Amino acid sequence: MKNVSFTIERGEIFGILGPNGAGKSTIVNIVNTLVTPDQGDVIIDGVNIKDQGDTIKSIMGVVPQEIALYDELSAYGNLMFWGGLYNIPKSELKANVARTLEIVDLANRKNDRIKTFSGGMKRRINIACSLLHNPRILVLDEPTVGVDPQNRNHIFELIERLNHDGMTIIYTTHYMEEAERFCDKIAIIDVGRIIAQGTLKELRKVSGAKDTLTIKLADVNHETITRITSENPLFRFDGISNTLKVECGNIGHDISLIIGRIQNSGGVIERIFTQGTNLESIYLKLTGKELRD
Amino acid sequence: MMFKLFKKDLILFSHDQRSVMLTFLLPVILITLFAFAYGSIGVDHGRSEPVALLVADLDHTRSSKEFIDRIDSLADIRVIVSDPNKAKDLVIKGKYACAMIIHKDFQDSLESGSATPVEVVYDRSREMEIGILQQDLIRTLLSSAGEILVKKNIEKFLQEQFPSIGKSASDAILKSAIKDGNSVPAIKWTSIVGERNDTKLGLIQSVAGTAILMLLFSVAGVGTSLLEEKENGTINRLLYSPLKGSTILYGKMLFAFFISILQLTAMFLFAWLVFHLDLSVNIPALILMIIATAFAVSGLGIFLAAIARTRQQAQNLSTIIILVMSAIGGSMIPLFIMPAILQKIALLSVNYWGIQGFYDVFWRTLPLAAILPKILILMGIGLIMTLASIQLFKKRIRKWR
Repeated sequence: MKNVSFTIERGEIFGILGPNGAGKSTIVNIVNTLVTPDQGDVIIDGVNIKDQGDTIKSIMGVVPQEIALYDELSAYGNLMFWGGLYNIPKSELKANVARTLEIVDLANRKNDRIKTFSGGMKRRINIACSLLHNPRILVLDEPTVGVDPQNRNHIFELIERLNHDGMTIIYTTHYMEEAERFCDKIAIIDVGRIIAQGTLKELRKVSGAKDTLTIKLADVNHETITRITSENPLFRFDGISNTLKVECGNIGHDISLIIGRIQNSGGVIERIFTQGTNLESIYLKLTGKELRD
Repeated sequence: MMFKLFKKDLILFSHDQRSVMLTFLLPVILITLFAFAYGSIGVDHGRSEPVALLVADLDHTRSSKEFIDRIDSLADIRVIVSDPNKAKDLVIKGKYACAMIIHKDFQDSLESGSATPVEVVYDRSREMEIGILQQDLIRTLLSSAGEILVKKNIEKFLQEQFPSIGKSASDAILKSAIKDGNSVPAIKWTSIVGERNDTKLGLIQSVAGTAILMLLFSVAGVGTSLLEEKENGTINRLLYSPLKGSTILYGKMLFAFFISILQLTAMFLFAWLVFHLDLSVNIPALILMIIATAFAVSGLGIFLAAIARTRQQAQNLSTIIILVMSAIGGSMIPLFIMPAILQKIALLSVNYWGIQGFYDVFWRTLPLAAILPKILILMGIGLIMTLASIQLFKKRIRKWR
């Protein structure tokens, strides 16, 4: 990691987006005091984690990337064990376990062993284990890897609910749509460096990525295409899909103008596809490569 | 915190039926097998079944018959009379370990003092049985030969010095002179160790040897579970909590120590219940030996896990080290039948000190003060292994993060 610096406000969901091996888990481990950085400091609530690691651990919950549970223990057994590591009085811990099981919607399976759970259910218990000491900050390290869409939505709703209740969330992922869905701010990381950070709007601006309009013509002939592209140099023809592609700052504002120009040049439009600026295009613009699993 | 980790491991262990079986049932089976193999149980007074000896008498004299009767009267040998060809055939077919053929002129050779024409044909693969026979046969043969020579000399002396002595007087003198085999200088063999009540050496060897061997495997399994936790991410999750890395190790060691004590105790209770091993012989020494052995073995098990990088590596490494150490340390083969050099190398193994300590308790019935050095050595091994494991584990944790 080099020159990594970011600020997270209380109650925010902060996304760390990057491909596998970019350094997301290393950031998680540094923030949680598990790894000591060669240089630099991490300040949480005005406290330098170098000085008060244990204090930080008690206000922070970490959901690891792996399903770090004991298969032979029940859901309840796992929660009691993991929660028990935080010196919570037993009666309070029991109440927290019951509440957390309700939150992750697995109260009816509490006595079943983890090995009988589906992958998605395990993921939910994996998260629940990190909530038992009522942390103010929750760090989730790629919590939806290998989870089916239904369970993924369940996890998203859980995160949104926790954030709504005031929890600050650090969320690492390599799925663009997840970062887009609920992150207030996103840091894009690649090869151990943060290459851009901010809100989606800020990232769009920084990257210079634009919305894309894709137009399929009814009658594609060489003469018409040449005429359209010579009269409108920003229009690109994609010979493979036989479509015209136009980048624009604001689709809503520019679409009627573009349609008019094509028609004036003799083109007959069959279909129009719009694609707003998303993290994928921003990432592509910033790194020159696509973000893949 | 350490106790929470211990409790978790205990619950996981109790849920793992295979581990429970391997920890308790397998050692029980092995102890039973070894106990029978070492031949100290299942027969009266700890004696094994007599070895069958085929005998073919081609001499058919009074001396040869007496010789056979003497052999047959020995507790360790059961004589089966046969003819030479049939006897050889039965040995070749593996039905018997050996056959003794008393050739013609046996009596003459005894009287003349020349080499006795006795031949033993045997199967070399059954040397243990042959060993028992060899000792008894030589002793009996010497005794017979000696008796005949003495008898002959006395007869000669009487005829020369007292030519007029009557036959009845001569026979009475002869009978008196060679009565009870006193005529030959016989060595009296007296065992002075382990003669107390019904203590059985083979049983102690099998219980102590097998228990320590299996204990090493169980504890290595506990150590390996540490690497398993690293691989499935639970170690990191433990480190996310306020737990210290060393506490995780202590928790594992506590569990390994507890399982070791439980396993050893179970093995001795089994030996008491099934084979009537007298546990009351020296209870304080027995308790201290169990604790010291458990501490040394659990330290070693955790050390094996601490030096390995992966679970697979730990499993392979522990299997090799445990088998080699158990082989030279006397868990598999009793130490007293090993060459002197191996007996010296055995001092390097935990098995040696454990087994010898239990020998001291049950076989030699030594007082606690005499057993204490072995207990201290075992505690020392445990302490060194524990300290080394802590240092290694700290380094490992830094790398695992």
